[in-house]
Amino acid sequence: MRDKREIKPVNSFNQKIDYILAAPALLWLTIFFLVPYFIVLIYGFLTPDIFDIKFEFSLDAYRLIVDGTYFRPFYVSFRMALLTTVLCILLGYPVAYFIARAKEKLRNTLLVFIIIPFWTNLIIRIFSWRIFLSYNGVLNDFLISLGLISQPLEIMRTDWAVILVMVYVYLPYMILPLYSVLEKLDFTLLHAAMDLGANEVKAFFKITLPLSMGGIFAGVLLVFIPALGAYLIPQLVGDQRSLYVGQVITYKIKNIPRNWPMASALSFTLLILVAVCLLAGYYLYQNRQKTKRFG
Amino acid sequence: MEEIRIQNISKDFDGFLAVDGVDLTIRSGELFSFLGPSGCGKTTLLRMIAGFETPQRGNIFIGDEDITDLPPYKRPVNTIFQNYSLFPHMTVWDNVAFGLKIRKVPLPEIQSRVSEMLQLVKMEDQSAKYPAQMSGGQKQRVAIARALINKPKVLLLDEPLAALDLKLRQHMLIELMNIHDAVGITFIYVTHDQGEAMSISDRVAVMDKGKVVQAGPPDDIYERPASIFSAYFIGETNLITGQVIGIEDEYIQLRCNMGDGEFFEIDSTFHFRPEVGQQLTVSLRPEKIAISRNKPRIQDDINVLKGSIEDILYLGSHTQYIVTVGKLKFRVFSQHKRVYFDDTALDWDEEVWLFWHDTDSWLIDEMPDEAAYASESMVHPPRFGKREQSRNIAEEQ
Repeated sequence: MRDKREIKPVNSFNQKIDYILAAPALLWLTIFFLVPYFIVLIYGFLTPDIFDIKFEFSLDAYRLIVDGTYFRPFYVSFRMALLTTVLCILLGYPVAYFIARAKEKLRNTLLVFIIIPFWTNLIIRIFSWRIFLSYNGVLNDFLISLGLISQPLEIMRTDWAVILVMVYVYLPYMILPLYSVLEKLDFTLLHAAMDLGANEVKAFFKITLPLSMGGIFAGVLLVFIPALGAYLIPQLVGDQRSLYVGQVITYKIKNIPRNWPMASALSFTLLILVAVCLLAGYYLYQNRQKTKRFG
Repeated sequence: MEEIRIQNISKDFDGFLAVDGVDLTIRSGELFSFLGPSGCGKTTLLRMIAGFETPQRGNIFIGDEDITDLPPYKRPVNTIFQNYSLFPHMTVWDNVAFGLKIRKVPLPEIQSRVSEMLQLVKMEDQSAKYPAQMSGGQKQRVAIARALINKPKVLLLDEPLAALDLKLRQHMLIELMNIHDAVGITFIYVTHDQGEAMSISDRVAVMDKGKVVQAGPPDDIYERPASIFSAYFIGETNLITGQVIGIEDEYIQLRCNMGDGEFFEIDSTFHFRPEVGQQLTVSLRPEKIAISRNKPRIQDDINVLKGSIEDILYLGSHTQYIVTVGKLKFRVFSQHKRVYFDDTALDWDEEVWLFWHDTDSWLIDEMPDEAAYASESMVHPPRFGKREQSRNIAEEQ
């Protein structure tokens, strides 16, 4: 038997190194994420002032959330985020599948195409969409010149514009994790399924889809969460009559009289909402795995 | 029960002829092997029977039904894949039940058939496990159960034991034979391992470069190889080339170059009638040759050669001697019996006598095709052996 004390110094040295290496990032996250969130949490229970805040305890902000006054923006944001996520899955899955099954050279080229949009600033890309979609914009000019329409379409400043740009912006975030899962998938499993009597469609739903759930889940994380808090896109291309949570929070901070507690409470509620959605999703995903046996 | 008829099947992959006009009939209930080095087309042929590849030419019948163009899920065959291809997100039970669920068999029947199958492969207590939690041998059993539960007419096995270690391989081989006896359907077994093919099969088709070079029972292929390829690929052999100088009732006399200008003469029985003056190859298995430091008594029906030991390879159950005769090298197997011809073991560089009965060699009407090697040493393995080996290693890596 080897003496355990012999190994211990090596181990504790490794552990020390681990801590030292992890420390900068942990410190960074603590100072710039955890502490601000804590401040947000506390601000939600304070009293608003015209420009600033009064350090007096108050439940007003959360009362307004609980009684449903702010239900509408949450509903609008949630609906749009859900629609964006679903569309990203439906549009992204075939693309990811195609790239994963392509020959290696083509695969790398296609991946570069997916990543190219990231080289341009998001705001610039959204402004390009505004030019493209506007009343006298490129799209309308083009459709009229083709004779498909006689009157310009009013796409800008509608929910359609929002969904279009949202899907455009978030689609790569769905494709990339899906691709990384599908690329590792053992496609002989599909042969096995077909050998056992499943046609192509059944093989997809019984084998490929369940085995790529991890990628879908990762994609949903990357799309749904930012989409739920989206501010820029609704602000720049959306219908100004439908307010998204992100916009409401901004108004509460920007417009005078300011209402920091309300903005904080809304932010924190959004955070809770995201956490609940994800946990529910994760729970469903896990449970499905277990109960499938006789399904 | 129906036989499988493979008629003139060819498959071309971008100019590479993987399978080249294969004709075979596999009898119902038979355990039939496709044996050959990697790249010989055996797996492609199997995949065409399974339906994963479509041949450019030819037809495949099961009984009277032409299955050539049917998709895999409409064929009465099931496959055991090389790496098992168990569904990683399903338990053993779900894996085995898969085929029945797809066919919408009622649940009570699924349950009884799954447990029956798991019993057959001795995995009934593992039904809740996932593939990742199992050993290679266990995965193998599940793969067998998953295929057989569909009651296929033919079970295809694609190098099923390649991923297992030696002991387990031998064990699974026996188990496969037992399962074959129990279910009584046709098994088609693909392997590059001649030992596996020999021990398990009713009949073997030896394949090379997309063609079946010989098909028959294992002992037939081993004892009566139809070509140099069969002789060399199955087991080990000494290939001796020479010219026919005389034919008597049951014997031919062969004059063989030792490579250094000297000649020796040997006798051999024959199974086809050669002509005097014809060049021939004789296949002589290493275990048929006796080796001794004492000169044997001269007899009519014994060939005797004198050589010296160049190398001794101790292999446990037997020892392999490399004996040089002129410039030729003979492989000789000798078992470890206590009773030697004399009592001490043979040593390096010792002068020895090789002798064998002249019914123990087998004529092949073919010359090793590489002239370079033929002049250097006739009993060397043909070059393709080494090339295949190095290619195998490269592919596995």
